Amino acid sequence: MSVLELQQVSKVYGAGPAEVHALRDASLTVEAGAMVAVMGPSGSGKSTLLTIAGSLEKPTSGEVLIEGAPLSAMSRGAQARLRRRTIGYVFQDFNLLPGLTAAENVALPLELDGVPARKARAAGIRALEGLGLAARASSFPDQLSGGERQRVAIARAVAGERHLLLADEPSGALDSANGEAVMQLIRDACTRGVAAVLVTHDAQLASWADRVLLVRDGQVTDRGAQAGPQARLAMEQGR
Amino acid sequence: MSAGLRDRPAHQADGGAPARRAVIRWAWRLFRREWRQQLLILSLITVAAAGTIFGGAVASNTPAPPNTATFGTANHLAVIPGTDPHLAADISAIRQRFGPADVIENQDLVTGSASQVQLRAQDPRGLYGQPTLALVSGHYPAGPDQVALTSQVATLYNLRAGGTWHQGGQDRRVTGIVENPSHLPDEFALVAAGQVSAPDQVTILFDASARAVAGYRFPAGATVEAPAPSSGGIGPAIIVLALAVLGLIFIGLVAVAGFTVLAQRRLRALGMLGSLGAADRHVRLVMTANGAIAGLTGALAGAAAGFAAWFAYRPYLETSAGHQIDPLHLPWWLIATGMVLAVVTAIAAASRPARAVARISPHAALAGRPEPPRAAHRSAVPGIVLLLIGPGLLILAGGWGHNSGTSTLETLGGLVATTCGGLLLAPFCITGLAALGRHAPVAVRLALRDLARYRARSAAALSAITFAVVIAMLICILATARYANVLDYTGPNLTASQLILYPPAAGGPGPAGAPGSANPRPLTHGQERTLVGRVTTALASRSVLTLYSAAQPGAHVAGYPGPVQATLNQAGTQTNNYSGPLYVATPALLRNFGIRPGQVTAGADVLTMRPGLAAEPRMQLVVPPSRFPGPGQARSQDPCPAGSCIASPQIETVTGLPSGTSAPNTVITLRAVRALGLHEVTSGWLIQAARPLTAGQISSARQLAAAAGAIIETKSGEVSLSEILNAATAVGLLIALGVLAMTVGLIRSETGSDLRTLAATGASGTTRRTITAVTAGGLGLLGAVIGTAIAYLAAIAWYRSSLATTVSHVPTVDLILVLAGLPLTASAGGWLFAGRQPAAMARQPLG
Repeated sequence: MSVLELQQVSKVYGAGPAEVHALRDASLTVEAGAMVAVMGPSGSGKSTLLTIAGSLEKPTSGEVLIEGAPLSAMSRGAQARLRRRTIGYVFQDFNLLPGLTAAENVALPLELDGVPARKARAAGIRALEGLGLAARASSFPDQLSGGERQRVAIARAVAGERHLLLADEPSGALDSANGEAVMQLIRDACTRGVAAVLVTHDAQLASWADRVLLVRDGQVTDRGAQAGPQARLAMEQGR
Repeated sequence: MSAGLRDRPAHQADGGAPARRAVIRWAWRLFRREWRQQLLILSLITVAAAGTIFGGAVASNTPAPPNTATFGTANHLAVIPGTDPHLAADISAIRQRFGPADVIENQDLVTGSASQVQLRAQDPRGLYGQPTLALVSGHYPAGPDQVALTSQVATLYNLRAGGTWHQGGQDRRVTGIVENPSHLPDEFALVAAGQVSAPDQVTILFDASARAVAGYRFPAGATVEAPAPSSGGIGPAIIVLALAVLGLIFIGLVAVAGFTVLAQRRLRALGMLGSLGAADRHVRLVMTANGAIAGLTGALAGAAAGFAAWFAYRPYLETSAGHQIDPLHLPWWLIATGMVLAVVTAIAAASRPARAVARISPHAALAGRPEPPRAAHRSAVPGIVLLLIGPGLLILAGGWGHNSGTSTLETLGGLVATTCGGLLLAPFCITGLAALGRHAPVAVRLALRDLARYRARSAAALSAITFAVVIAMLICILATARYANVLDYTGPNLTASQLILYPPAAGGPGPAGAPGSANPRPLTHGQERTLVGRVTTALASRSVLTLYSAAQPGAHVAGYPGPVQATLNQAGTQTNNYSGPLYVATPALLRNFGIRPGQVTAGADVLTMRPGLAAEPRMQLVVPPSRFPGPGQARSQDPCPAGSCIASPQIETVTGLPSGTSAPNTVITLRAVRALGLHEVTSGWLIQAARPLTAGQISSARQLAAAAGAIIETKSGEVSLSEILNAATAVGLLIALGVLAMTVGLIRSETGSDLRTLAATGASGTTRRTITAVTAGGLGLLGAVIGTAIAYLAAIAWYRSSLATTVSHVPTVDLILVLAGLPLTASAGGWLFAGRQPAAMARQPLG
């Protein structure tokens, strides 16, 4: 079963003369463990595709299926539960909650899902350990560097065995070294069976993906599978 | 990670208690980070809670236990005059009839103090009288040469325990300081039972049934009293609670605006929470938990401040209320209710923006974009109905002067209904203002239209501003109406540098019933000159004006101290009679206040500085009919008999006269004095010092006066009209401007994209400034107009039967300050503070 499936999804903003078609009949399927990059110029509808896939926004028409379950049939509460349990989001500007430490940020989705605070925090710390951030677990977001913040955001997105990782320009606010590191983390998550969709402008970063989608004027074109990941792996192993 | 997933309880759809705890923890952390942004709300809740505790404590403890001070634990008392020739036998008979009784002998002393001082013989361990005595220090007198004094008497005679009190040719050793704990102004010197040889009256406390008392024949001249029943009116604590609720309604309105601003500022953070899977209820909980935390913090801070203020003020209240007060004798139910209401108000105020922000999709919230405004279809009917009910209740309340429990309820209900009705209709005025401005220049038009578009924010702000204006204007209107009563004149009695010395036999404007006048020992002219000279020297003054009353020397009215004096009346009026002294306009008096004889009309009977007194109808200058009828004469049926009354006297306004209520603000001319067949009788001396009198000077003057049996009067705590108006207007304006400062920024940030679009199309910074200035000014203008209208509507309903003498007196300056000053200041502030481009405007993309 595919983790994410978009069926003829369209999104229209405004009405009448001000009508804007952000997405036109976009279809997409992402299997478990796959990493899909979405590329396209500004305003082409990449982010809209991601927010609709992540249930942050409703499509005007079409259907989104997460692990086979249609979003349109779900209540707001059920969609929220889906975001807690299945979907992990990584934003360009990290979106860590101010006032919570790195560990608390990572643990928050688990706590929101009813996991007792102590266990959720332990799970959060384990997630941070996996990303080399155990020492920063008690730091607040404004005490972390950009790269560290994004790693915390990734830890939060994958904590709790989520199956779908949606990343909107995850390295957009980072330098190239940190950007590469973030992509490596997402790749690692996919290796563990997580399906990932990432929006990026950067062809270099898109080469980490198994597939690349092009979006232009709201229309999605699947360029199919690419050899990038294998080549990159071979290159990494050859070093 | 897998452990966390395994532990996830599948049955908890919204995360249950762990989720709530996590959200509340985050709300708490946010509150700790951003509490400064909520300072206005916190301050208001703190003030409300503190005011409720302090007000409730003062209101509950000010009235003394009604009967304890005189009855002790007895249910009857009999007062037998000391002149009773069979005093001992009568006391014995009462004891025989009613059983054990406490006998208290009192002898009035002349000390010069304004209060009555008695020499009292009482058994401190008496069966019934025990609660009327308390030992402050030392011990009770036990022998014939011992005495215990109240602190006032000890101060008067400069004595302390161990000293010797010389009185009435007898020396007594002071054994201690005592008091009547239920009536602290009760000034007395306590001696052992039976040690007053010539009592003026004897009080007997005893327990008996009403039937037994009715069936007993008490001695001639004796009076018998039973404790007064409870009045049964509305308790002061209930009134404090009602006022607290009114205050919290206002705070709730301000808090709605404040929390709306907060929700707007936190929109992105709340969007992040939503993107992590928080349900709507979690998003709401962040805001309501913040409200609860703010409410709880404010309530606790207010409780601390309220209790501190109460403990600090209690000693002063004991002095002014005249009885001992237990610091923990507090209306705990009121305090608990006030605290709970403060928290509930904050939660309720936060819940509306919480619901609004929870409706925004996470995507829109993350982008910092609120939902587009929805058209609100609210009915004006509830507001109109309340505006009909409110004034109706105020009319039913009986107007000024009624003070029954029912009328208090109706008055409070009327005020609340009128205010709420006005507040409910206020948002419709925003739409009206926007419609009025549709032909205005673009910046003005945009600003007014945005006010109408974002009515969720602007209406809450307008309600809060309106409420502040209503309270301020009501105080101004009521105070102006009260101070406009030229007959029952009110205000400060004297200036801080003035003192009036009343001679023992004056019986004039001095405090009626004071021992100095009730039992006068007239001073000779030489003694008067010496006394005045000493007091003047003690005050370092050179200005002394002798005050004369127009009186009939030798004629007296029963129960009225001193000779009969002329006074002013308004024929046919029961509740609006002249109050205050009426001195004679001697040439010296006029000269003292810089009034030349040529300034006074030859035919004038009365000169006054009270504005409007000259226009009062049906006035009479009369001599009370004390000397009429004489022995064997019939009482005149003419309400204004010639020779003792001048109907419609010629009253002339002379602004040079002083305004103090005890000062010669209204004087009778020598011409009128002669026409009434009266003479000038010395009533006192107005001593004017160069500087405000010090406590030491006043104390010296009082002791000098006391030694001669005279009394003094200095400035009391009565505030002036201008002080009330200035304070009410200033506080009202400050609160209104504070609300504006808090909310205009929000409305402006919401229209940030519009501003950027304007800037992109070539609009200058002036446009941005104009928009902000019009937003603030528009809200200020509406709040001022609606608030003033509500206040006047309530006042007109309340004063319906006396509009000409009350509401017709307009606090013009304050009205202008509110109606013009508030919008202009708001506009100026908006213009100045709009210079900086809002961050939201820089962030937001072109729409």
